[in-house]
This record gives sequence, C-alpha cells and structure tokens, in this order.
Amino acid sequence: MILSRRHLSLAAGMAAAVALTAGALIASTAEAAPSADVGSSAPAFTGTTSNGETVSLADFAGKTVVLEWTNDGCPFVKKHYATPPANMQSLQASAAADDVVWLSVISSRPGSQGHVSPEKANELTTSRGAAPAHVILDESGDIGRLYGAKTTPHMYIVTPEGKLVYDGAIDSIPSAKVEDIAKAENYVTAALADLSAGKPVATASTKPYGCAVKY
Amino acid sequence: MTGFIRRFAVAFLGLSLMAGLAHAQMDERRAEAELISDRVSVAPGDTFYAALRMQMDDGWHIYWRNAGDAGLPPRLILKEGTSLPEDAVGEFLWPLPHLIPVVEGEIMDYGYDDEVVFAFPVTVPQDASGEIKIVAEADYLICESICIPESADVSLTLPVGAPVENAGAGAKIGEWIARVPTAFPGEARIDDATEPWRLSLRLEAGFPEDAHIRFFPFNHEISHPAAQPQRAGPDGASLSLTPDRTGSVSDTLDGVIRIDAPGAEPVGYEISAARGEIFAGTADREVQAVMPGKGLGSAADGAAPLGFERIVMLAFFALIGGLILNLMPCVLPVLSMKALGMVQAAASGRAGELKSHGLWYTGGVLISFVALAGALLLVRQATGSATLGFQLQHAPTVAILALVMFAVGLWLMGFFELGSSVQNLGGTLANRGGAAGAFFTGVLAAVVGAPCVGPFLGAALGAVIGQPAPAVIAVFLAMGFGMALPFLILSFVPGLHRLLPKPGKWMDTLKQAFAFPMFLTAAWLLSVVAGLAGAGAVGWTVAGATALVFAIWLGRQGGGLRKGVAALALAGAFVYPAMQANVPTAPVSGSSQAAFTGSYGEAAWSPETVQAMLAEGRPVFVDFTASWCASCQVNKLTTLKTRKVQEAFKDANVAFLVADFTQKDPMIAEELKLRARAGVPMYLWYPAGASEPQILPEILTQELVIGLVQG
Repeated sequence: MILSRRHLSLAAGMAAAVALTAGALIASTAEAAPSADVGSSAPAFTGTTSNGETVSLADFAGKTVVLEWTNDGCPFVKKHYATPPANMQSLQASAAADDVVWLSVISSRPGSQGHVSPEKANELTTSRGAAPAHVILDESGDIGRLYGAKTTPHMYIVTPEGKLVYDGAIDSIPSAKVEDIAKAENYVTAALADLSAGKPVATASTKPYGCAVKY
Repeated sequence: MTGFIRRFAVAFLGLSLMAGLAHAQMDERRAEAELISDRVSVAPGDTFYAALRMQMDDGWHIYWRNAGDAGLPPRLILKEGTSLPEDAVGEFLWPLPHLIPVVEGEIMDYGYDDEVVFAFPVTVPQDASGEIKIVAEADYLICESICIPESADVSLTLPVGAPVENAGAGAKIGEWIARVPTAFPGEARIDDATEPWRLSLRLEAGFPEDAHIRFFPFNHEISHPAAQPQRAGPDGASLSLTPDRTGSVSDTLDGVIRIDAPGAEPVGYEISAARGEIFAGTADREVQAVMPGKGLGSAADGAAPLGFERIVMLAFFALIGGLILNLMPCVLPVLSMKALGMVQAAASGRAGELKSHGLWYTGGVLISFVALAGALLLVRQATGSATLGFQLQHAPTVAILALVMFAVGLWLMGFFELGSSVQNLGGTLANRGGAAGAFFTGVLAAVVGAPCVGPFLGAALGAVIGQPAPAVIAVFLAMGFGMALPFLILSFVPGLHRLLPKPGKWMDTLKQAFAFPMFLTAAWLLSVVAGLAGAGAVGWTVAGATALVFAIWLGRQGGGLRKGVAALALAGAFVYPAMQANVPTAPVSGSSQAAFTGSYGEAAWSPETVQAMLAEGRPVFVDFTASWCASCQVNKLTTLKTRKVQEAFKDANVAFLVADFTQKDPMIAEELKLRARAGVPMYLWYPAGASEPQILPEILTQELVIGLVQG
C-alpha cells in the first residue's frame, strides 16, 4: 500500500520533470525558427500594446501594416523623431490618413535602453507628437526575433494580403544627423507609394542602420 | 497668472538644465580623438601619412568600414580652414577589426576598442608655402551597450619647408599601418551555387596550423552573426558562409580575412573572391580552430558574462535532464538496486551510513560523466567534430555495452553475486566494501545510462558542444549531478528515509523483474551492432554472452583452476566480440541507409536533394535519425510512420527525406553542427519556397506535423 502510494507520487514528480524539460526544449527550438523573408508571408504575431490591448497581425488583414522597431534612447531614433522636421511623426500621420496601420514595436529587454512602462510609452507618443496606431511592448524580444529586427529603427511593410514587401532602413543615409534626413531617399515613403499605385515595391530590401536592438 | 509664471519658471529651469546637460555631454566624450602625422614639417609635393588616433574609454567601441549589423563607421569631415584641396587627403586605411558579438548569434558588429589609428595619405601641393592645415570634424558613433554619436574638432598644422620626420607619431602610425590587411598572396573563390556558400582560399604557403579564420565582408552579402565553419586541406582552407536573407554575390565577394593563430599576432588579408567552384585541397577536413586569446575583443567586456549566464542556464537544463535519466529503462534497474539497499539499511537501523554512501554514489556518477565529457573532447580533438551518441557509432563499444547489459540482467536475476558487496542487499551497506559498492553502482548507472543521454539533452548539449573544454565538462558535471540528486537528497535529508517502504520479499521479486528491461536493452544494442558491423559481429557478441554465462558457471564451481579458466572466459567474453565488431566487414555503410530509406522515407537526404526538391516547389521534411537513437524510433512509431502523417505528407506533396546517422557521416555531422545540434534526432521542415528550414522539437506529435504540413 505504502509502496504504491510512493510510486504514484514518484511517477507524478517525474512526469512533471519530463513535461518541464520537454517544454523548455520546445521553447528553445521555437526560438530557432527562421525569421521573415521579403516576398513571403509576414510571420504572424500577437503582442500587448501600451494600452493593454492584445493585438495580432491578423487583426489588420485587409490593411497595409508598417512595423517600426524603436527605442527612444537611441540616437538614430532620436534623429527621426527630432522636431523639426518630425520625420517619423509625419510618416505616421500620413499613414493614418491613408488607412495604413502603423505599429511601433519596442523589443528592449527590461532594464535596457528603450524599455519603457506602458504609461511611459504613451507619454512618449504624446510628448513627441507621434501617431502610431499602436505601440507594442515586446520586452521578451519574441516579435523582434521573429522578424529578425536588428536595429532601431528597422522598418517592415506588410500588404493587406499579409505579404512582407519591405524590410530594411528608413532611408538611404545611415547617420545620426538630423540634417541628413532632407537629403536622403525615404524607403518607407517610396514603398508605400508603390503599393498605393498598385506597383511592386521597387526597393524591397535594404540594410537597416541604427543602434542594435537591445534583446 | 501665478500658474503661468510658475510654469514659465519650470520650463526655463528645464531648458537651462538641458543646456547644461548638453554642455556636460560635449565635455564627456567617450573617446579622445586627435590628428597626428609622421612629419614635423613637409616639403611641397611630398606625400606623407597623417592619422586620426582614437582612444576609447573602457568598454566602448567604434566601428570598422563595415560596421556589421548595427553601428556606423567613423568619418573625418574636412571643414573650412583646411588649406589642402579635397583630393589631397586620402581615404582611411582600415586596420584589421575584431568581432563584436552584440547579441550572441543574432547581432554581430565589426570594430575596435581601446585604441585605433586610421592612417590616411596626404599629398602636399607643389605650390604650398608657409604651412598646411587640416581642420576637420571626427564624426563617429561610439557604443557600449548603448550608442552615442559624437564628434570632435581636430586639426593638424605643419610648416612647409625641409621635410622632417616625426619619429614618435611616425612609429605609432607605422605600427597601425602594419595592421591594415594586405593583398591576399593566394587566390580566393566563392561558390554560391548552394547554401551555405563556400569561400575557398588557396594559399601555397598554407595557413598556420590551428589558425582560426574569419571572413569580414565589405558589404552585407552574408549573415554577420553566423558561424563560419572552417575546413582545410594541403592547398589552403575554406569557410562555409551563411548568406544574408537577401544576399547574393554580384561579381566578386570582397572583404578581409582575419587569421588568428595561437601565440601569434592576428594577420589580415584583403580578398576579392571570384565566383567559381572551390579549389581542390582546401576543404579536405574539418578544422575546429578556436579564436585564441583576445580574438573576440570586446567579448571580454560585454558578451563573455552573457556567455557564462548561458552556460549556467544550459547546465541547469542538463541537471534536469540528468534527473530524467533516472527514469530511462536501462538505468532504472540499477538505481532500484541502490534504492533497495537503502530500504534495507534504513530498516536495520544503519541509516547513518546512508550519507557516506550517497556521497560515494554521487562520486561514481560524476567521475563517469567527466570521463564521458573527456571522451567527447578527445573525439572532437581527433576528428574535428563530435556529436552526441558518438559512443554508439563505434561497434566494439556497442558490443561491450550489450554484454554489460546482459551481465547486469543476469546479476539482477540472481544468477551470480558480485563478491560480498551485493551478497544480500541489506549486507551491502554494512560491509566495509559498501562504499566501493556505492561508488561502482554510480559508475554502473552512468555507464548503462550512456546510451540514453542523447534524446533529452540534445538541445543543451548541442549548444555547448563547440565550447571550450571547461564549459563542456561543467555541463556534463551538472548532468551527472542531476542524475545523482535523488539519492543524494534521500541520503541527506533527515527522516526522509523513514518514508521508504519496509523491506520484504517484494524486493527480490522486483529485483528479478528488473532484469527484463536489461535483457531488452541488450537486444536493442545487438540490433545496433548489426547495423554497424553486420551479422557476423552479432554472432560473436552472442557467443561472448555465452562465454560470460560459462565463466560465471565455472566460477560457481569453485577451485583454483576452474576460477582461472573462468577469468579467461570472462575476459574473452568481452574482448573477442569487441575485436570482431571492429573488423571491417562488407560495406554496411549505405546499404542500411538504402534499406531504411526504401521502407520509410522518399529518398536519402543530402543538401542537394533538399535544394532540388525545393526548386520543384515542394515542401521538404527531413528526418535526421539513427537506429541507436531511442527517441528517433519513438517519433517514427508514434508520428512519422503513422498512416495519418504519411497521408498528410502525400496530400501536400511533401518530399520526405531521411538522413541516417546510424553510422558516422561527415555530411550529416556538418549539418547538425550548422544547426547547433549535438546529435539526432533533428527534424527540419522547409515550407514550399523556403530557403531556411524550421527546426522542429525533438519530440514530435501527429498534430504538430500535420498542422505544419497543412499550415
């Protein structure tokens, strides 16, 4: 009698250990999944916004989606939010006007530069005059890794059909200097223009520049 | 009104604070920058070297001409006041950079820390007189974990007259020009026909022994963080390069190779690799060269502690894996013996001895695992690579293991007794020999557990297998400790042993029942021997088992002569089958894969087959398996071979490829290494049109596979 009870608890304990390890292994394998490729389907993700809502890429099916990796402490991000010329803000505003969904994603791990509380994220949006549809807080870095986001800023564009059509830099001059914005070709503007003209995106993939994402 | 004034005051205070901060930041740059030159004075028409010298604060780095995944190279921007025409000032000569792993395996930068000198040639105009002047802004991004763009005003003024060398600065500049990569004295080619690309470097003089070679591209054709597995041959070396997601080679692949040989300064060569097949004699064998010393540069400041954390995490997984090993069919019986011993000891009031025996047992397990780690490291040293389960690719080892399992089964059955230590279970602990008994139970547990180490620990061990020896040993020790832990706890936590059941006849019954899993394990190992060395070796192993029984039988008869013959028979029982298994028989290699494939997968795996299938637009599923891999067999039976899954594969026109690793296969070993796996099982899933596979969990379910296929 004692024996069987003991065995039962032993078996339960071991089963738990097996489940734990299997879970850990599966989790670690999931991390090795390949990231997004231009021309194929944009990887699906679900994240929590600064307003506590849960949003998925699938929620925006039928609309063009822009993903912007950001970190408010990064000088390259500061360059594009500097006012004037408020480059990022005006991109966001014109996106909103064209019914394009703009998602700013913060993948900084807790304690690193750019990691912010939901309140702080909203305050940054207000104080900088930004107009993203949502700010997604991705402190685990899962979404960033899924897309292979390397830098802040790093931009992606997804078509209404869910196809990834742009992956790369925001513009053509890799620098942290505000005065270079005017001289640069903005790849996001160009890609969105191509899309709304019904043309394939001419420059679909560029080398992103900026600070490393703080995974 | 007062509200307005207060707000104004606050705003004003804020502004002045910000101004103050901005000012402070200007003064607190993370690097000193200055212009130096190898001349004190120059003559008209002279060409000399000037240089931007940068001294970075500890832990901060700046970037090479290609910064890698993030970052920006430094620039020198000439400003007003410069007395030279723009084309008189040449480009930077970029010294050899080092790797800056920002996020291990994900984000890699190239650059410099501590000090760097960027020399550039300056030509003095023929009509120069008085003095020449360079006024410039050094514009650079400097990063630690965060990045700060900084700029420094720098200038250089030199009188024009009789040329005079500046010995001090000249030596400094010369020292750094010597670190600028020179033209490669051999020939380089890039084969981008298949992935990974192969960069072949033909060098008549050969590369130094044990040299670690790394390619730093000028552009972004390749994935910067990816490892660059290295091969070598009599005529040079080659590197496997993982292309960037959108990378392609236009005409040539240009960049720098950095060669780090132990005990030597790193050497850099600039290469421009033309497209073409790799040179013969540059990829004959794998090289597991380790970047020596400070090769990884700032890794010492930033990434190394992270690496340590990772190893601690892996050790933790290994510990849990070790715990689970206790449940393996081949280990459980041995452990149950130990447990029964404890039951008896606790019941007869000798609980005090439990502690020392717990420690002896742990020692036995740990020493065996260190020995296993040592063997793994030796294999790695000798062959350049090692995968888990390597012990089961060596036929003599498997034959001996089969006999050990058989012997343990006989012992459990009560067919013989191992001296006094196991005379009766209770007696074990009472004897002086109890400590040794406990120790060898530990060794035995580890030995019989060895075939089972693979499946659960694949991920943890895969990540650690390429690491330096101490990390490998640490993870194996953690695994051993995990295995010994349950008994250690039972031995040390006071009162816990009182929960043990009372001894009785059930112990004998249980002990005998446990013999059957051992016999079955032996049977399974025999089938592995058959796959490795053919039916002949199996015959000899069975003969060995008979000799074993004969030796035991003789030993029980007593008498000096009989004992002697018994000992001889016993030795022969193990040695002879092992020798036979080692005799190379008719080529079994290939035949087993073919047979296996015929009944199971669609075709044998090779990178070319995968590419061909993908080119046809078919999705591809690859099963990396081996007949000695227990969890591979489980997955095969419960998932892959089932009708549902096979039908789903058929419906989706999936190309199902099998890579059989029962025998050593360098191509499979390389693929496992590329995917950072220590051994089989590994399952790769390429959706139609994908170039990179998804690595599936090591434990498959029908739902998972069908979900993917129908995905």
